[in-house]
Amino acid sequence: MKILPPTLRDGRRYLAFELIAEGPVKRDDLIREIFSAAGSLLGDVGASECAIRLLAFEDMKGVVRCSPERTSNTRAVLATIRDVRGTRVLFHVLGISGTVRAATKKYLAGVDVFNPVEQSHINE
Amino acid sequence: MVESGYYDLSVSFVPESSNRVEELAATAGHLGYSGIAINYPANSKISSVDFDFEDIEIFSAVAIRPKNASKIHSIVDRYRDRVDLITVCGGIESINRAAVENPRVDILTDMNMGRENGFNHVLAKAASDNNVAVAFDLGSLIRLRGGNRVHALSNFRKNLQLVRKYDVPYLLTSSPQSVYDMRAPRELIALAALFGMSREEAIRGLSTIPEAIISGNRPPEGYLCEGVEIIGTDIEDECSRGDDIV
Repeated sequence: MKILPPTLRDGRRYLAFELIAEGPVKRDDLIREIFSAAGSLLGDVGASECAIRLLAFEDMKGVVRCSPERTSNTRAVLATIRDVRGTRVLFHVLGISGTVRAATKKYLAGVDVFNPVEQSHINE
Repeated sequence: MVESGYYDLSVSFVPESSNRVEELAATAGHLGYSGIAINYPANSKISSVDFDFEDIEIFSAVAIRPKNASKIHSIVDRYRDRVDLITVCGGIESINRAAVENPRVDILTDMNMGRENGFNHVLAKAASDNNVAVAFDLGSLIRLRGGNRVHALSNFRKNLQLVRKYDVPYLLTSSPQSVYDMRAPRELIALAALFGMSREEAIRGLSTIPEAIISGNRPPEGYLCEGVEIIGTDIEDECSRGDDIV
């Protein structure tokens, strides 16, 4: 099959995020939670328009892909996630890029996930 | 656009929880806030917040949860000089009304109880006249699901209309009880967009309006009492005459 011409391809935005959590979180559980939050906040129609997809997720850092017109809604969806399988989490979007590479390089490379307990001791 | 100077004036201090003020402050700093207010419940011991954080300001606030409207004024007077901010957690219309009619109250939050919208055009006008800020508690959009969230969103939409019409000061808050309830300013802007608030309005509700509330409550340097302030101390050595200018 002939490849899809670039003019017909959908635009994308890539949201680099860190997950500040009480404990470890599994990728599958996080995906389920994202879709349930999206369905609950925007409904199935709105969620499909957002085209949310979780790409990489490793060491509590990852990238979420969405439609460029719906970045604000996607952010709102991610903000409504409170816990993943009972583990309380804080979903913190670090930045948005037009390519995965830029999102990873600019916002995730070499960044340590924030730990509230440790950081507060450093500050004292 | 200036991307700094965000404030969340609604951080709750829960004495029983394990979250310490230091953790809340460090997390808020990490998320991009430049100041938070720690809300102590009324009648609790209010420890003066004297932590020295480099990148974040901490204000003390008291959150009043009155049982009935007549109690508000005496409680407000009791705390007014001891904390930076006074927040009234409303709920029913009579309490909301007493709060917005008292110029010594800074913030009215939790205006809506479930389906009932405790805010209307009369209260909006009073809030605008007395400069009492109303808080859009975006934390409720995070906590609630289903029907309750639908009601919260439609109440916010209605209140936003009134806020625009009567030019009421408003705040965006996330009312976190723990570090995991906090959300970054940009996430709050995205949540506010869900009920029709524009980006610029949301930024104002997170930055300039809370800043104005705080600076209005913190007396300027040299302030002695109502109408008296020190404007210079150079001539003190020459004569014993005070140089306080009335």
